[in-house]
Amino acid sequence: MSVRTKASRPVAPSHAKRNASLIAVALLFIWAAVSIEADWTELADVPRGIARLFYRMFLETGPDWTYLGRAGEAMLDSIWIAWVGTIIGAAISLPIGFFGARNVSSGLASNIVRQVLNAIRAFPELVLVIVVFIPIAGLTPVAGALAIGLHSVGTLGKLTAEVVEGIDSGPVEAARAAGGRPLQVQRWGVLPQVLPEIVAFWLYRFEINIRAAAVLGVVGAGGIGTIVQETINYRRYDKAGVAIIVVIVATILIDIISGWVRRRIIAGSDAKHVSSEVLEEPTFAAAGAGKIDTDAG
Amino acid sequence: MIRFDNASVVYPGGVRALTDLTLEIPDGQMMVIVGLSGAGKSTLIRAINGLVPLTSGDLTIDGVSVRHARPKQLREIRSKIGMIFQTFNLVKRTSVLNNVLMGRLHDAGTMRSVLGWYREQDVEIAMQALERVDIVEKAYVRASNLSGGQQQRVGIARALAQEPKIILADEPVASLDPPTSHVVMRDLQRINRDLGITTIVNLHFLDLAKVYGDRIIGMRQGGLVYDGPGSEADEHVFRDIYGRSLTADDVLGEPAAAPA
Amino acid sequence: MTAAPQALRTGRPTKPPRSLAVPIGMVAFLVITWLALSEEFGIGLDIGDLIEDAGRGVDIWAEFLEPNWAFVPQTFGPMLETFQMAVIAAFVGCAVALPISFLASRVTSPNLATYLADRGILSIVRAIPDILYALIFVAAVGIGPLAGMLALFFFNIGVVAKLLSETVDGVDTGPIEATRAAGGNRIQTTRWAVMPQILPNYVAYSLYTFELNIRASTVIGIVGAGGIGQLLNAQRAFFRYDNLAVIIFELFVFVFVIELFSIWVRRRLV
Repeated sequence: MSVRTKASRPVAPSHAKRNASLIAVALLFIWAAVSIEADWTELADVPRGIARLFYRMFLETGPDWTYLGRAGEAMLDSIWIAWVGTIIGAAISLPIGFFGARNVSSGLASNIVRQVLNAIRAFPELVLVIVVFIPIAGLTPVAGALAIGLHSVGTLGKLTAEVVEGIDSGPVEAARAAGGRPLQVQRWGVLPQVLPEIVAFWLYRFEINIRAAAVLGVVGAGGIGTIVQETINYRRYDKAGVAIIVVIVATILIDIISGWVRRRIIAGSDAKHVSSEVLEEPTFAAAGAGKIDTDAG
Repeated sequence: MIRFDNASVVYPGGVRALTDLTLEIPDGQMMVIVGLSGAGKSTLIRAINGLVPLTSGDLTIDGVSVRHARPKQLREIRSKIGMIFQTFNLVKRTSVLNNVLMGRLHDAGTMRSVLGWYREQDVEIAMQALERVDIVEKAYVRASNLSGGQQQRVGIARALAQEPKIILADEPVASLDPPTSHVVMRDLQRINRDLGITTIVNLHFLDLAKVYGDRIIGMRQGGLVYDGPGSEADEHVFRDIYGRSLTADDVLGEPAAAPA
Repeated sequence: MTAAPQALRTGRPTKPPRSLAVPIGMVAFLVITWLALSEEFGIGLDIGDLIEDAGRGVDIWAEFLEPNWAFVPQTFGPMLETFQMAVIAAFVGCAVALPISFLASRVTSPNLATYLADRGILSIVRAIPDILYALIFVAAVGIGPLAGMLALFFFNIGVVAKLLSETVDGVDTGPIEATRAAGGNRIQTTRWAVMPQILPNYVAYSLYTFELNIRASTVIGIVGAGGIGQLLNAQRAFFRYDNLAVIIFELFVFVFVIELFSIWVRRRLV
């Protein structure tokens, strides 16, 4: 080999685009902070306000533990609402999810189904309950359960479709080759592969729906949300504190149990792409889950 | 000088990775460690910069004990030891230069390094390191866009940017093809000879060990079973170290191309 | 042919005992469902009643399908406030969530105690739905967007820190080892070996959080924490379903646009 000529140092590339975006974001934030009609001087009072609330809830007369029964009942109501809602969502989303998968139904049909699911998902449970289900079922827990059920169909449907699309086509081909009818092919070729992951989604959705159910209480559709709102409105902070503790404890417990079951199911299966929605997604109320793509970078 | 004094490493499960090792490595030496997987090569190398703590015995570098070093001291010691990895361990999403600048982290201080405001002299050192391994033209290329051999050269540059007294290389060529392996080993040899940096390399290709190692030590089950110059190591020696006859997997197979 | 049967003589294996997990699971499921549906304990789901009442709903739905577009100008102020609240809470929340998530991951947390404490606190923060935060903050600082932003802020931290900490758990540890071997301290390691790996996810989660905030504002406004929720609640109280339809449509569009933007940004980032 000949003597290598010494390479000259390259020039540093410009970061103009990146810097411009960062500046834009910063400006957006500054604009929002400045233009919002909120009194920022009140920010200094916030710690005191919170401390005062905390004091009233837990320290003034101590939490009202006699309220535990009532709060527990209400929390149980919320749990039932979430449970029924999740079941409805799961049951309906399973077939719909299959139809939304490109490898099950034709490209056009699956596309339409996915768009419908997206539309459903866009409505928070709260909106659904106000708009659709309270008019039908009145201010009852049933309305809440149905709202949660419908919204869950949107999310679970999308996740189910994605899982079905991601399967190994081998067993499906084998089932077809053995002469199975379409329904049988789905039942024996597809379902065994996807069921563990889908059930994990259902459990995960249940955890989220617990929070959604608590929220719905605020419009009177039953559950712990109503309790918290009432106790705060009537300034019975000692009771409100107890209710909040009940929510936290119950939610954490359910998260732990559900998480444990989910992990057992996934571990015992060959789930290939255990998407982050199953194991990691956030919990929140009245908003659609399942928007994070696991392949985001 | 690096000195092991009856050093032992026992992993939590009870595995004895190093047993009563006593070893002296003089400055400027190019030493190659050979042995089967699990023989203790990786443990030995990682003990030198404290990535694997000793369970008993001691290890000193120029008289300073690594085992008893406080965290701040340990970082100081490590800043003068460059390390090269089998899987390169580059940050894929960022540029080659940023990767090499990681060698300047300790000297640059936390404030500067977090903000990325390296001093001119740090950037200069990084650039010179890249020039030494002949890859400076890729300074602003994203690390993931490089080939395996190129990435390893960046790894070497990163180590060089530390202006180290010692360079540790844990199976640096195991993921590379034969011609590239020779290039990398030759770079390491050149650096050792030109800059006088003590170089310690783990290899499992015996022909490479023989060619590039001034001194070869053989390890088996955590203990030293051979210690001699590279020129004297032959098949017999290697068979002793391995405890079995050699197979095709143990040699790279391709001799080095004629030097440039 | 007497030789062949010999080879076939290996006994059939006995069927392994079926694990009890599935039957127990099914029984538990049925019991819970029965409880949930019953009148006494649960919610009293009666399909018959439902079908009867569905008739009532139809009239209301008819009103929904005729949105009152004249209402749009009145939504500008509240929608703007929702947007501003979402931006501020997302910005500050995501910024604060970054160090919190580093403490909540085994990979970057300094020691076990900090790790456990951080995860514990995070569990509690996440266990409170956004509306409860809204109720609490309205009670603490009064109604208005300040309470709303505080509520969203805590809600955001719960969401982002959990997501991010789990992303951090999954990073390639090679660069981390390399940084420590070169003498870097924990902060430097996090900055140069971990952060570049999680950056695309961080941006995705931040945009996601912003979207959540927009939707959450419908909810928190109902309890007085500012934003479009208050207007929405007022319309509901007065049974102005035509106006309600307008608000819902606007939210829909808003969220859709954010989603498109988010996809665009993420594609450019990878």
